[in-house]
Amino acid sequence: MKTFAQISVMALAVATLSAGALVIAVAQDLPRGDAANGRRIYLAVGCFTCHGRSGQGGAYNGPAPILARTALPFVGFKALIRDPSNDMPAYSDAVLSDQDIADVYAFLESLPGPRSPRDISILNN
Amino acid sequence: MPKRRQSSGSSRRNFLQGAGFAGAAAAIVPPATADATPAAPQERLKAAIPGPRQTAAENMPPTKDPANQTSSGGDFMVDVLNSLGIEYLAINCASSYRGLHEAAVNHGNNKPEIITCVHEDIAVHMAQGFAKIEGKPIAMACHGVVGLQHAAMAIYNAWCDRVPVIVIGGNIMEADKRAPGAEWPHSGVDIGQLVREFTKWDDQPASLQHFAESAVRAYKIATTPPMGPVFLALDAELQENPIANAESLRIPKFEPVAPPQGDSGAIAEAAKMLVEAQNPVIVCDRVARTPAGMARLVELAETLQCGVIDNAGRMNFPSRHPLNQSFRRGIIAQADVIIAIEMNDLWGTLTHFSDRIVRQSRPATKPGANIITLGVRDLYLKSNYQDFGRWQDVDLDIAGDGEASLPALTEAVKRLVDDGRKSAFGARGEKLAKLHMAMVEQSKTDATIGWDSSPITTARMCAEVYDQIKDEDWSLVGTAIRLTWPHRLWDLKKPYQWNGVSGGAGVGYNLPASLGAALANKKHGRFTVAFGGDGDFMFNPGALWTAAHHKIPILYVVHNNRAYHQEYMYLTAMAARHGRGVERMDIGTTLKDPNIDYATVARGMGAHGEGPITEPKDLAPALARAIAVVRSGEPAVVDVVTDPR
Repeated sequence: MKTFAQISVMALAVATLSAGALVIAVAQDLPRGDAANGRRIYLAVGCFTCHGRSGQGGAYNGPAPILARTALPFVGFKALIRDPSNDMPAYSDAVLSDQDIADVYAFLESLPGPRSPRDISILNN
Repeated sequence: MPKRRQSSGSSRRNFLQGAGFAGAAAAIVPPATADATPAAPQERLKAAIPGPRQTAAENMPPTKDPANQTSSGGDFMVDVLNSLGIEYLAINCASSYRGLHEAAVNHGNNKPEIITCVHEDIAVHMAQGFAKIEGKPIAMACHGVVGLQHAAMAIYNAWCDRVPVIVIGGNIMEADKRAPGAEWPHSGVDIGQLVREFTKWDDQPASLQHFAESAVRAYKIATTPPMGPVFLALDAELQENPIANAESLRIPKFEPVAPPQGDSGAIAEAAKMLVEAQNPVIVCDRVARTPAGMARLVELAETLQCGVIDNAGRMNFPSRHPLNQSFRRGIIAQADVIIAIEMNDLWGTLTHFSDRIVRQSRPATKPGANIITLGVRDLYLKSNYQDFGRWQDVDLDIAGDGEASLPALTEAVKRLVDDGRKSAFGARGEKLAKLHMAMVEQSKTDATIGWDSSPITTARMCAEVYDQIKDEDWSLVGTAIRLTWPHRLWDLKKPYQWNGVSGGAGVGYNLPASLGAALANKKHGRFTVAFGGDGDFMFNPGALWTAAHHKIPILYVVHNNRAYHQEYMYLTAMAARHGRGVERMDIGTTLKDPNIDYATVARGMGAHGEGPITEPKDLAPALARAIAVVRSGEPAVVDVVTDPR
């Protein structure tokens, strides 16, 4: 239930950000992320506890969204970390700098994400 | 021992005989004299010198103790338990019920069969898991006071889960019968008060006939919906002493209660509301209490062609049924009529709740949605413990057992469905079926993420297990908290293919309750499988010894994320709120340094152990070896080092 709400918020953020020049401006300001450092941060600050080490999603009080190869643009991703919806705690810049978030974002973008389940026979029982 | 027997003649039951003997002794035993006990100086006396009767009583030789007895109250108690069809007596042995224990072994010829447990918590949880699979309770016995205190959390889980368990606690009611030492702190005036707030009923019988009637009454109360645990305190003397009045004892007749059905007018009103709804939704939690329950719920859902959201407190609804929308809870927001059947936490199901600095909630339902409830949980509530959950406004509240009331409700619905509605319902069902299939395909896709990662994802762990057990007559009887992959990926469709959860979320349930379910499955030849968390495992690892000792086959897969993971997440959230120390939240929440080797623990308990398995490629061979052991009738543990959830 909470996942749907969270996804709805994300979808709204994507829609809003896709609407105009804001996206372009943000894209120009996108910090360069270091995926290796992002992986270290992702594991250290507890992102993996709800979203899984492979970004596969998981559960906190309710289901936690999949983050591998997230469809969110960086600005939306950062906005959700600073001011999340539902049960996710806010990570302020006191514990996670903008550069840290960029690194985590780069790490999530570097993940392989989902495959076709048809390629895995035991998922078709 | 001599001291104890010296006073035995003044028991309540032998009071007259004892008094007569003491009087006679006073007449024939010479009083003690000043020669035997030098008198203190008169001025220092604090009390009068004992008179001849008191002195005689204190120096009375031990009452002649009969060398043997040919019967005991325990024998009769065992007969009563057997009359109720109680198959097992799960125990951690203790002196306060040694009379019952000995009688079960010798008089009953180990019927009920003793299941030896190394902790009372294990015994109760085994009974809870057993009852949900088999549909009838077993008994557990524990020591007075301290054993019952150990058992208390598990009894609370059974209470919250509305599961019948017959709990028996030994006690020594008469103070003058208690030996010096442990029998005093292990006895109580009213030991039932320890668990009274989370049992349906309790008693401390004062005679064998009283026991018989209370045992049958306890069984009846426990098994009448809403079901729950009951407690009987058994006086040690009542168990141990010879039966004085065998000819007058009788075992009462047990006749089960026909569960209450909902009022016929209210059922008709509910049917009308459901049939006239555009988007009715069924939400349920503990509907199926017999094998008939699931079929009845399926029939209602198919008649209405409406979505079903199953909170999975029992095996209520097939996981792959096209109308199963349990992972599409957004349909609640579209529902104009919701019928909640045997729900535990209705408010929580129909509400979005945020666990934030300021806790907030908002309805998940749309304005004007009508809510119908059908169930019996609220027919028996208590005050202190808050398992009844938050108040939920409803529009039609029907008191009646869900499973028992479903046939009448479905028939009432059928009577209102004309051809036009049937066509509309069919279209609705087809739409839901497509959405269900999309959900299944999405689940499969989601399961591929991190497929080859180490630690192993929970999705892969569950898929690997299912691949190897799917052709067995399997029974999944436990999962770790929030481990939903089996319900997303597996084909759960038989009444015994899921066994619900703990009820009270008291940690330590999963391993022993799974074992109790496996005990029930054993005689049916089913293959029992369970997933359990590592934190839960460490509360009751001794359950594996019971599994090995009694040769209870079970495949127990440890979902080993090396943490009390829910707490790890909570603590991380607390640190993030404060903007500090988010990297330190493994302190006090993780189970590492050293890592626990669950396979070695299992082997130490006499069970087969595999692992720790850290690489996905090693999982299938380890499972194959473990499954071969389970097929041979033994328990096996596979320790899978996993990603968190």
